[in-house]
Amino acid sequence: MASQNFDPTTSSGVRRKENTGTSNPSNNHSVSKRLQQELMTLLTSGDPGISAFPDGDNLFSWIATVDGPKGTVYEDLRYKLSLDFPSGYPYQAPTVKFINPCYHPNVDQHGNICLDILKEKWSALYDVRTILLSLQSLLGEPNIDSPLNSHAADLWSNQEEYKKVLLTKYEKEVRIKQNS
Amino acid sequence: MAANTEALNKAWKTIVDFLSPGGRPILEVSFPEIQFQSAVDILVQNGIVNIIEDWFFENVQRDIRQRVAPNFWNYYTSTACQGASEWSDNLLKAVQFLHQVSEEYKPSLQRLESISSGTHPKNSLQTFCGVQKLSDVLITLFKAIIFAQVPNGYQEGLDHFYSEAFKVFNDTNSDNKGGGNEEVERQCDGCGENTEVCRCAQIMDRFHTVNRLLDEVGILEEVSGTSATALVHEKIQQHVEAQCKGRFETSFLESLENWLDTKVLGWLNLIYTGNRTHIGADCISSFRGRLQHFLYKTYAQVQINEFFKIIIDFPESAPAVQDLKACLEKTDMRAQLISTLRSSIETRLLHPGVNTSDILTAYISAIRALRVLDPAGVILELVCDPVRKYLRCRDDTVRCIVSSLTDDGSSELLDELIKGQPLVLDESGHSDDEDEDWEKWNPDPVDADPATASKSRRASDIISMLVNIYGSKELFVNEYRTLLADRILTNFNYEIGREIRYLEHLKLRFGESQLHYCEVMLKDVADSKRINARIKEEKAQRNEQDVVEVNSMILSAQFWPAFREEKITLPEEMQKLLEAYTKKFEALKGNRTLQWKSHLGLMNIDIELKDRTINFKVSPVHAAIIMQFQEKNKWTVEELSKTLQMPATALRRKIAYWQSQGLLKEESNDTFVLVEDHRGHTHDYLMTEDDETESAMASTQAQKEEEYQIYWSYIVGMLTNLESLPIERIHSMLRMFTMQGASTMECTIQELKQFLDRKVKEQQLMYSGGVYRLPK
Repeated sequence: MASQNFDPTTSSGVRRKENTGTSNPSNNHSVSKRLQQELMTLLTSGDPGISAFPDGDNLFSWIATVDGPKGTVYEDLRYKLSLDFPSGYPYQAPTVKFINPCYHPNVDQHGNICLDILKEKWSALYDVRTILLSLQSLLGEPNIDSPLNSHAADLWSNQEEYKKVLLTKYEKEVRIKQNS
Repeated sequence: MAANTEALNKAWKTIVDFLSPGGRPILEVSFPEIQFQSAVDILVQNGIVNIIEDWFFENVQRDIRQRVAPNFWNYYTSTACQGASEWSDNLLKAVQFLHQVSEEYKPSLQRLESISSGTHPKNSLQTFCGVQKLSDVLITLFKAIIFAQVPNGYQEGLDHFYSEAFKVFNDTNSDNKGGGNEEVERQCDGCGENTEVCRCAQIMDRFHTVNRLLDEVGILEEVSGTSATALVHEKIQQHVEAQCKGRFETSFLESLENWLDTKVLGWLNLIYTGNRTHIGADCISSFRGRLQHFLYKTYAQVQINEFFKIIIDFPESAPAVQDLKACLEKTDMRAQLISTLRSSIETRLLHPGVNTSDILTAYISAIRALRVLDPAGVILELVCDPVRKYLRCRDDTVRCIVSSLTDDGSSELLDELIKGQPLVLDESGHSDDEDEDWEKWNPDPVDADPATASKSRRASDIISMLVNIYGSKELFVNEYRTLLADRILTNFNYEIGREIRYLEHLKLRFGESQLHYCEVMLKDVADSKRINARIKEEKAQRNEQDVVEVNSMILSAQFWPAFREEKITLPEEMQKLLEAYTKKFEALKGNRTLQWKSHLGLMNIDIELKDRTINFKVSPVHAAIIMQFQEKNKWTVEELSKTLQMPATALRRKIAYWQSQGLLKEESNDTFVLVEDHRGHTHDYLMTEDDETESAMASTQAQKEEEYQIYWSYIVGMLTNLESLPIERIHSMLRMFTMQGASTMECTIQELKQFLDRKVKEQQLMYSGGVYRLPK
């Protein structure tokens, strides 16, 4: 697994935060190309409930939209996320965060997500589409064992109560802002 | 002192008597010259000799003003309303009178001259009008006083006088006299009178006399100058127009110059030279230069106004172009040429009423003609810019160019193609090291655009110019590919020798890699031919005989342009044959199979009617339709479309073909019957066979539609995530993020707006407050 994360062009990894591409330009170019390609695949594949697009003129920073999966408490809820791609992408994972506050066992109050494939299990074989699909399924199937939001984790077992809290919070924190 | 005064008075009186100008006749001819001389001497002794001169000219002035001028003009004014001929006679009389006066002054002037030259140096003479000679002073006075006031009609009369003389002169000196014009009532070309009363000689005589007299008086130039110059200019203009207008096949410059030298200058010589006293011979030769310039300018003007026509019949009008080139070198009319040509091209060529192929033809001859005119290519660049812009916005330009490149008809472009220089495109960088002879180097003309390299302007040939309308080879190659596919699929004759030849020429131009696809296409045809032969051979060996002979065209889908799709179910017989063919093919080429494009193709069918058999070569769809009428005579469109699984609209268009052939008839609405008996082709003949020209390839429109579909998914993507965007942002993001390969076409913001507006209409999009968003 780790071998895929080794960028053949740059020996030393570039830190994620330097996502504006300060490394060598040819590498940067190939990253842009890959991102363009991913954008195209994502948009033309037409997977329901997930979507993403570069935010403004920067190809390295995207905004994504994920709809809650059907048949879960998150059904009909729509969340926005930000994706920041490091210049070492796809050998380094992008930084993914919720923009809207998301009440979820694996999401903290700042929107940080605890998902293994975005951390230690990242692979260069993943792409935006697979990340978003994973996130979508994470909404319906949280990992209760390593919670970032213990309140939500505790409540998860009681789905009815959970849904009530979730909807109130969503109403208060997300929808109002959207409408304002 | 008194004696002195006495002597002085006497001397003065003598001088006055001697010098008095023509007012009173000089009676005392017997006065010896000595007497005058001694009188002058007396004045000299008293130091007042210079007053003689002053007095004399004052007297002369008064005389001219009071006597000469009124008399002179009287000749004209008294007969103002009379005919031109009388007027000329009056002119003669007036001039004669003037001459006489001038003669009267002469002795006095001579005396005066002898005083001044004998007694003292020129100081006093110079005071008078700055003129050296006393006779010149007199001429100046004539000019000043007589011509200070000119009566009405004088100039016109004078003009007539000279033009009449010119005509006569021209006529008598022309070489092509005699010949077949010996008719009875012949008019004299010179004077316009009947030959018997020809006044040519008289006119010429009068003309010469007037000129001679005027010259002797010294006012020839004053009187004749304006008229003669105006006349000469007018004559040049008339001559050039009459000779050259609308005739481009011959060069006129030489004959025009010849005409100028013999006729015009000959006539001017007649007036101004030939022992004239007051005008030097060199004035004519210097005037010649100016007239020549005027001639060139007039000629250039005529040709410039006609230049559009010249361009249109270019190869034939080459002499005119050469002439104009010579003229442009001598005159400064480039700018005029450019603006005139530009505007005439715009009004006559660049409007919707002109076929694209005609515009192209004109453009090509413009390129050729202007190359001759201006090898640097600057005029071409300036003039043809609107043409190129216009052609760019026509849909069928590329198609026209490519088809004219490869058609049998127009050999021009083909010749050009065979010349086969590699294509020079605008974007190709140029090097500064010119390998041509530096001594022959010329700078670019001043109106050249410094941004473009002069070499590219000079070097590019016609095909490059045409390709440069779009600036990309790909477009051309793609269009050629489509045309090639069309040709192959409409002919179905497997004869590709000619196509290969074109392809080789094109390869020289556009390079191997660009035309690789086309090469594969041609190879497909050759392969198909072979496979057909193989399968036929096999069949022959096994003594199988099919109802219909099937030949296939096996196309490698990767390399052919997108086909126009059409759904059709062929009749069972046909379908079976195709399946059998596929089996054989699979046996022949393991692992491969065929996908039939049954709507493409050509069928050779015989239709047996009651009274005749007709042979047709039609598309499978047409054949399928007519085959249905084997079963029963009457079909409704609906039934047919069910059996053939074809949409009714498409079906109707195909049926129209058979209608135009007189085989089917629309009996009642949507019901067609077979027409068995021949009753002439009159019925339904109005049907046009527009779908015969339909291309087998997917239209650009359809391709565009597909690309818009890709755009749409991007737009949905960006609006889902970024909520709402103004059109400018959408446009720029599309440009930024769509893959280059996916969409080759440029989408302008206007096109995008149309597309988005359509989506708004379809309620797939919302537009409010200047931004687009997706409906919730």
